[in-house]
Amino acid sequence: MAKDEAWKPAKTDKSERLFQLTCVLLYSERGLTKRELFHAVDAYRIDLQNSNEDDFALNKKFERDKSELREMGIQVTNPDQKSDPDDMRYQIASDTFTWPEGVEFDAQQLQLLNLAAQVWAQASLSADANRGLVRLKGLGIEPAANDLVGFAPRLRTHEPSFLPLSQAIEERIEVSFDYRKPDGSVSKRHVQPWLLRNIDGQWLLMCWDKDQKAARNFLLKRIVSKVVFRSEQVNEKDVSLITFEAPASEMVAAAITDLEEHTANQVATLRVKKDTQAWFHFHLDDHAGETADVSISYMDLHLLAEELSEYALDLKVIAPQELAKVIRARFEAVANAHA
Amino acid sequence: MPKLRGFNGEDRYNFLLALVGYLGHRTEVSLDEVAEHFNLEGDYIVKALRSLNDATAQVSGFEEWPFYVDIDLLDEGIVSLTTAEVIDDVPRLSTRQAAAISAGLSYLASIPEFAGNPEIKVLIDKIAAGSSRGIAEVISIAPGSVEAGAEQLRQAILQGRAISCEYINRKGEKTIREIDPLRIDLTGGVWYLRGYCPINLGVRNFLIEHMRGITILERDISDDAKQVSEIEDATYVAEVTDTTVTVEVAPEAYRLITDFQTVSEPKDVGSGTIRSEIKVGHLPNIGRLIAKYGGAAKVIAPAEAREYVRKYALSALGESTEDASREIE
Repeated sequence: MAKDEAWKPAKTDKSERLFQLTCVLLYSERGLTKRELFHAVDAYRIDLQNSNEDDFALNKKFERDKSELREMGIQVTNPDQKSDPDDMRYQIASDTFTWPEGVEFDAQQLQLLNLAAQVWAQASLSADANRGLVRLKGLGIEPAANDLVGFAPRLRTHEPSFLPLSQAIEERIEVSFDYRKPDGSVSKRHVQPWLLRNIDGQWLLMCWDKDQKAARNFLLKRIVSKVVFRSEQVNEKDVSLITFEAPASEMVAAAITDLEEHTANQVATLRVKKDTQAWFHFHLDDHAGETADVSISYMDLHLLAEELSEYALDLKVIAPQELAKVIRARFEAVANAHA
Repeated sequence: MPKLRGFNGEDRYNFLLALVGYLGHRTEVSLDEVAEHFNLEGDYIVKALRSLNDATAQVSGFEEWPFYVDIDLLDEGIVSLTTAEVIDDVPRLSTRQAAAISAGLSYLASIPEFAGNPEIKVLIDKIAAGSSRGIAEVISIAPGSVEAGAEQLRQAILQGRAISCEYINRKGEKTIREIDPLRIDLTGGVWYLRGYCPINLGVRNFLIEHMRGITILERDISDDAKQVSEIEDATYVAEVTDTTVTVEVAPEAYRLITDFQTVSEPKDVGSGTIRSEIKVGHLPNIGRLIAKYGGAAKVIAPAEAREYVRKYALSALGESTEDASREIE
């Protein structure tokens, strides 16, 4: 697997450049100016041969490298705040490589961390988790235990809105998006995003709806537009107007309880035919007779209709009648779309 | 496990830092042990070490060599790194790294098998402490339900034993099957068993809720099953005999595209609707697959596939006397 192309040790390789930049910054005790760094890092010095320190592309590369280091948790700081960017000194914060007491992992814990890092099916989350795991392994002496082999829990994120929403939650920025209700009507929503919740495999955005002035839950799969950060719509000095305070934990807890109560109060009753797939699905083996009635609570009528569509021939909806209607309407829509 | 094929510049940079920190904790260690610890190939570790050995840093006009790797020892398979103490440990986690691992741990905690495991809470706290700038709660996962039988299947996998069970397939046919179990997948709240099927001579995906009367057999899994090295994550793995079907999906049905391996790059055809091609093994299955999305997914071609979907929907509506054919497995 380790082919030559997997490793390109060249002075211009990005990993080598970032690594050298890190080492140079760590060596210096007082910090280094941009000009000093341009001469200390091979890749920058090579660029300087055909340009000068004011070169736009070189400065841009340096800015990008700095922000990449920060994104990877290497805290590049400016110890003495100077107004002139040419005099500004750069350093790496001293606690970047210092772990708090007691952060160590035994073989069982490493195994759980391994499993947790493999959970993400989405590429960029998976990359972040695996890079973190490589660092944690670097701390450890023991190899991970492996008595959890043969178990692969995965979190899927089919929705393109997942990543921008998680970023907006992290940075506490208001967002807007178009939301399509099951009846087909689309409306623009302005929200303060709080939390992404996964319930039975469905992703929900729990947020403060600015128009409704209330906590609301939105299903990610019904978001039909790009997620727009309101910071894109205002000047930099007005950004404070569209960022928001973290919600109080009681508010989040209350919103979670609300949804749970809502789900518990909505009950559907189904009559299931013996030994069909639905019979297996609802685990009805203990029932005698050719049919069994089963009652289930549900969060959203249309999600339930989607789930039950797979068993349309195996069961009959006893209540609510609305559920039977929705299932029927869905099949009619399918038949019409393929007429 | 980090897949080398997917290792990019950031991954290599990250690995170099972790490797220096790791080697800083010990004097000499065998190359095999390092490779096993990071789950990477020995060759890759050697390349990384050589690149560390070549690394230089310009300090006040002088060239410094921050790392010294004993190359003679390395040729004998022993790793020894001397550093100028410029990096004395692994860097702390970035906010995103911590968030991704922490959410993964929360997901594990939501699975009944781990719900009572006190280690998970301990780990979440340690990850937060190990993050360079703390951690924001972004993701939460509601506790799921356990699938009866999953624990028994996991025991069979650990013991390397075959199982038998009664299985109801997508056509509603019940059979007694023997399966060589390989992996349990929990995806989108649904539990699957990936197992080698001696009848089909290949890895198949079984819905655990469609099994009953699971028994662990006395026999070990077959040699063919042991040969299976990598199991795809996609719920459905295409075969050469499959039919290519062109579909259009609205956001409500994007899952259809991710569950299947798409043949062509999905194309946006306006208002969030995407057109793509998927591979379908047994064409009559397309009816159930598409109908589930209630109009949010639509077959464009071939006409035969459209007809299967229409018939399936009509039969669900009770308007068709023909028996709509359903999926095999």
